[in-house]
Amino acid sequence: MTVTAESRTVELDPRRNVPGTRPGFSSTLRAEWIKFWSVRSTMWSTVMLFVLGAGLTALICATNAEWLASSEADESPGSFITFGLTFAQITAIVLGTLTVTSEYGTGMIRATLAATPRRGAVLAAKALVLTGTLFVAGTVTAFAGYFAGNFFLDREGIGLALSDDGVLRSMFGSGLYMTGLGLLAAGVGILVRHTAAALSMVLALVFVAGNMAFLLPGTWGEWVAKLMPGNAGSPVAVPVPFNPEALTPWTGFAAFGAEVLVLLVIGWMVFQRRDA
Amino acid sequence: MISVSGLTKKYGDKVAVDDVSFTVATGRVTGFLGPNGAGKSTTMRMVLGLDRPTAGSVTVNGRRYRDSPAPLREVGALLEAKALHPGRSARDHLRWLAASNRIPTSRVDEVLELVGLEAVAGTRVGKFSLGMGQRLGIAVALLGDPPVVVLDEPVNGLDPEGIRWVRTLARQLATEGRTVFISSHLMSEMALTADHLVVIGRGRILADCSMREFIAEHAASYVKVRSPQRGQVADLLRGAGADVTPVDDELHVQGLDAAAVGELVGDKGLYLHELTLVRSSLEDAFMTLTSASVEYSARARTDQAGALR
Repeated sequence: MTVTAESRTVELDPRRNVPGTRPGFSSTLRAEWIKFWSVRSTMWSTVMLFVLGAGLTALICATNAEWLASSEADESPGSFITFGLTFAQITAIVLGTLTVTSEYGTGMIRATLAATPRRGAVLAAKALVLTGTLFVAGTVTAFAGYFAGNFFLDREGIGLALSDDGVLRSMFGSGLYMTGLGLLAAGVGILVRHTAAALSMVLALVFVAGNMAFLLPGTWGEWVAKLMPGNAGSPVAVPVPFNPEALTPWTGFAAFGAEVLVLLVIGWMVFQRRDA
Repeated sequence: MISVSGLTKKYGDKVAVDDVSFTVATGRVTGFLGPNGAGKSTTMRMVLGLDRPTAGSVTVNGRRYRDSPAPLREVGALLEAKALHPGRSARDHLRWLAASNRIPTSRVDEVLELVGLEAVAGTRVGKFSLGMGQRLGIAVALLGDPPVVVLDEPVNGLDPEGIRWVRTLARQLATEGRTVFISSHLMSEMALTADHLVVIGRGRILADCSMREFIAEHAASYVKVRSPQRGQVADLLRGAGADVTPVDDELHVQGLDAAAVGELVGDKGLYLHELTLVRSSLEDAFMTLTSASVEYSARARTDQAGALR
C-alpha cells in the first residue's frame, strides 16, 4: 500500500495512481496472452492439435505408402501428406471457442471488461492471440506431418519435395486455415456465449453442412456449396484438392477470410452494445 | 467519488433500477442496502460500465468509468466471487489483471499477502472455498491501489473472522481517504461498517442519509420504566413534556432520555424498579422500510398503466 495516512481528513488524489496516457493495446494483448496460456485447456488443446495433425499424417502415410506406390493406386500422395490436419482443425475450433465462451461461462467477462472497458481492444487482443498461436501451431504441425509422412513415402520412391506444386503452400496454408477456423469459432462464441452451443454449431457448419451443401441443386446450390466456410477455406491447406468442384486455394481462402471477417465484425458490434 | 444521476435500467418491461440518484463521497464507507433483487448489483454494474443504462448517467471521479485510462488504478471492484476461471491460479488471475492496467507485478504478491492467500497463490481457484474466492475478489479490488473501492456483497460466504476482517478493511480504506461503496442485504452488517447509507428497494432509493440519522429516524427507541408508583411517575413525566404510554405494568417513555427520567423521579423521591433504553432493531426498521416499497411500487405501476391509456 502506498497510502499510510491515518487521519480521517486525508485528501486522497483520486487520480494519483492513474497514468496520463492509456496503458495501450500492448497491455491488453499481454493480459490476454497470460489469460490464454494460464489455463490447462490451452496447453492440452495445442498438444492434441500437434499429436493429431502430425501423428495421424505419419500413420496414414506409413500404412498407405506401399499401396500408393503400386499401380492400383487411384489417389495422389499429395492427398495424404496433410491428412491429419483435418482432425487437428477440430482442436483449433475448440481453442477458438473456449477463448470467448469460457469467459461467459465463468462470469469472468465482467472482470475482463472492468479492467479494459474498450471492448474492441479486448476482442482484437483475443483475435491476435488466437492468430499467433494457431498460425504457428498449424504451420509447425503441418511441417512435422510432412517430414514424418514423407519419410514413409520416400521409402517407396513416391516422396514429395517441398518445391513440388502446392506442397509448401499447403504447409503455411494449414496454419492460415486453422487460424481462420479458430477466429470463426471465436466469432460464433461471441454471438452465442455458450461453449457447447458454439462448438456444435461450428463443427456442424464446417464438417457436416459443408459436405451436404454439394447436394443442393442448380447453379445457386453449387455456389452455396463452394462458399461454405469449410469448402472455401480448406483447399489452401492441401496440396491436391479433395473436391474438384471446390474453389482454387487462394480464391477460396479469400472468400473464407471475408466470411470470418464479416462474422467478427458482427460479433464486435453485438459485443459493443451488449450488457456484460 | 461516485455520482449517480437519474440512473434507470429496464429489462423489457421490468424496471430494475428506477431513476436513481445519489452520491458516494470520499473518506467514508457508504453502505448500499437492499433486499435481494432490489437493483444493487445492476446499479454497481452500471457504475463499472458493464451494463448500459437505459437512462441517466454515472461518473467516477468526474468521468465515465470507460473513459478512465487505467480503470483498475482508479476503481477497484469486487463483483461476484464467481468472476473467475476455475482452472487458473490465483496468482495468474491477478497477473493478467495487473498486465492489463500496467500495474507492476510486484503488486500481485503484495495483495495476495494482504488478503492472506499467499500460501495458495499457485492453487487453481476452482479448489477455493467460497470465502477464499471472496478474499481473492478483494485482492483484485485492491490490486491497483485504487482511491475508489466498490464491493458487491463482500461478506457473502465469509466466516465470522473473515466478516470482521472485511469490516476492518473497509473502515481502514475509508480512513485512508478512499471512497468505499459496499452493498449488502444485511442491515446488521451495514450498521457496523457504514458511515452513510443508501437504501434501495424495488429499484428506487428509499433512504439516503447518514447511519446516525437512519437510526434516529427509523429505529424507534423509548425508555422502559417500571415503578411501584406507576401513576405518579406517569403524571410526573407527562408534566415534564414526555410522551408516556402504559404497557402492562410498564411505562414506555419517549421524549426524555433515561438519565432525565431517572433524575426527575429521584428528585421526587419515587422508586424505580427498572429504567431501560429500548431500541427496536435496525433489521426491523429496514424490513419495515423495504416492505413499504413493495406497495409503493405496485401503486406506481397502476399509475403508469393509467398514463399509457
